[in-house]
Amino acid sequence: MSLILRNIGRKINKNWIVRNLSLNVSDGECLALLGPSGCGKSSTLRLIAGLDKPDEGKILINNEDFTNVSPVDRRIGMVFQSYALFPHLTVLSNLLLGLKVRGVNKDEQRRRVINVLSILQIEDLANRLPAHISGGQRQRVALARALLRDPLVYLLDEPMSNLDAQLREELRPELRRIILNGGQPVVYVTHDQHEAMAMADRIAVLKDGILEQLATPEELYKSPASIFVASFIGRPQINLLTNEPNITTAIRPEDIYLSKEGIESKLIYKEWLGNNQLLLLETPFGKLRVLCEANIRISDNIKINWSKDKEHYFDSNSKLRIN
Amino acid sequence: MILLLLLPATVLIALIFGIPLIRYAWISTHAFSVITGLELVPNQGANWLRLINDQRFWQDTFQTVRFASLSVSIELLLAICIALILDQKWRGRGITRAISLLPWALPTTIMALGWRWIFNTPFGPIDQIFNIVGIESINILSNPNITWIATVIADVWKTTPFIALILLAGLQSIPNDLYEAFRLEGGKPIQAFFKITLPLLRPYILLAVLFRLAQAFGVFDLIQVMTGGGPASSTESLALYAYLNAMRFLDFGYSATLMLGSFFLLVIACILSWIIISRFQYQLNEEKT
Repeated sequence: MSLILRNIGRKINKNWIVRNLSLNVSDGECLALLGPSGCGKSSTLRLIAGLDKPDEGKILINNEDFTNVSPVDRRIGMVFQSYALFPHLTVLSNLLLGLKVRGVNKDEQRRRVINVLSILQIEDLANRLPAHISGGQRQRVALARALLRDPLVYLLDEPMSNLDAQLREELRPELRRIILNGGQPVVYVTHDQHEAMAMADRIAVLKDGILEQLATPEELYKSPASIFVASFIGRPQINLLTNEPNITTAIRPEDIYLSKEGIESKLIYKEWLGNNQLLLLETPFGKLRVLCEANIRISDNIKINWSKDKEHYFDSNSKLRIN
Repeated sequence: MILLLLLPATVLIALIFGIPLIRYAWISTHAFSVITGLELVPNQGANWLRLINDQRFWQDTFQTVRFASLSVSIELLLAICIALILDQKWRGRGITRAISLLPWALPTTIMALGWRWIFNTPFGPIDQIFNIVGIESINILSNPNITWIATVIADVWKTTPFIALILLAGLQSIPNDLYEAFRLEGGKPIQAFFKITLPLLRPYILLAVLFRLAQAFGVFDLIQVMTGGGPASSTESLALYAYLNAMRFLDFGYSATLMLGSFFLLVIACILSWIIISRFQYQLNEEKT
C-alpha cells in the first residue's frame, strides 16, 4: 500500500516542467519534494492531486491506477500554501462543507468534525471566520479539513511558508505527528531544506523538472549525487574547487579547520553567526567559505586545512558524483 | 483626528446631496408655480395631500417599480452568465470583453433612438422578423400592455455590460485555490458555483444592484426618447412625471414633492434589497456547536 509515480511528465507549451519522474512513497512515510522555485515540485503535487493531468506516466495509489481518476474521486488530503479556507464560512462550516458535498450523514458529520477539532485543539475557533484567526490557527483548520477527507494520500504544499520562523519550528513536530498518525503516504513540498530535513524521511531534490537525487536527509548531506544537490543542501554553501581538469572537488565549510600547517589564506570577510562564524578566505584554490568556532580570534593571514576523506568529487562535465 | 480627515468628504457630500434635499423638502411644503408668480407660498402640506390622492403618481410608481425590478433582475441574471463566460480562459476573450462593453458606452439618447426604430411598426426589424416568421404585427410601441417591456429590453441591452463588468471584477478576486480545494473535497462545478462563487460575489452583486436600482428608479432619458412616457402614460416613470410637472406645467412645488416621494421609495427599495442579499450569507453558516 503506497503512492507510486511511474515516469510521470507534464509539459506546458512544449516545455517539460516535470520529466520522467518516478517516486515511491510507502505508507506512513513522509517524502519531501525539495528544490528552488520553478523546479517542478508544486507541479508534481498537482499531478498527484489530479488538478493537472500528466502528459506521460502513471500514478498508482495502493496499486490501483489513479492516473485518470478525477480529483473529486481521488481522496486526497491537501493543505495549500494559502490554506484555501472559504472566507465566507466559519471554521465549522469550512470543515462541514466537504462532508456535506460527499453526502456523509448528519450525525457522522458532527461526530467527525468534533473529533478533528479536538485533535487539533481548535474547538474554540469553531464559530470564527478565517479572517479572524491567526496564521497558525488557519493552518490547523486547513490540516483539520485534510484529516476529514479521510485521504489515501496527504499532500502538503509549502504548508508553513506563511508562518514566522519561530512558529514554524514549534509546529514541525506536531504536524509530523498528526499527518503520519494515520499511516498514509505523505508528500511534502518545500523550498526550505531545514524544513525538508526536519519533516521528511526521504527527500527528492528536483531541478528543472528532473529528479536530481532521492535519499534520506543524511545521505543527501553526506554523499550528494550532483553538484546541484551538494550546493543546495547544507548552509553555508559547499565550496567548489575546479583546479583539476574535468573534476570538481567540493568541501563543506564546516569540514575545513584552521591549523598551524596548511594552505595560506587571507581573510576577506567574516560573519558572526552566534554559535560559530563564517569566514570568506582568499586561497590558492580561489575563494573559500569556512565555518569555525565563534570564540576564535581571526587574524588577516591564517592557514587552513581539511582531511581528504571529507572531499566530494564530481565530474565537471556531467556534474555528477564520482566515487 | 479621524473626524477631521473625514470632514472634507462629509462637507462635500452634505453640499451636493444634503442641501438640494433640504431645499426640495422646503419647496414641497409650498405652492411654487406660475400661479403663485413663482413665489414660495406656504400651503400647509397640500402638495403631499395631492400626492397621496394622485392616481397618476401611484400608476407611475407602479410602472417605475415594475420597470426597475424586472430590468435589474434580468440584467443581474444575464450579467452573471456573461461574467462567468468572460472569466474563463479562451481565445479572443480580450476582444469579446471590449465588444461586450460597447452598449454601455453608447449615449442613452442615441441607443434609445435606435431601439425606437428597432421596435417601429411596420418599418423596424422586429416587425419584419414577425412578418417573415408569420406572426401577426403588433404595434409594440403603441400597445399600453407591452410597450413597457420594450423599454425593459432596451435598458437590459444597455446596462447588462456594466453589471457584468462589476461581477467579472468580483469573480477575478476569488482565488483559484478555493475552487481546487473544493474539487479535492469532492465538490462538483455546479456546487462550487452555489457554495463558493455566489457567496463570494455577494458584495459585488449588492453593489451592482444598488447602483442599478438607483439608476432604474430615476430612469428618464431612455423613456423620454423612446416612448415619451406613452402610450397613455403607460411607460411614464416618476422622474418623467416630475419633469413634466416642473417643465411643462411649471408647478415646481408639486414636482419637488414628487421627486422627494420617489426618493423615499428608492431608499426603501435599496434597504429591502440590501436585507435580502445580506441574509443570503447567514443562511450558509452552520448553527453553533
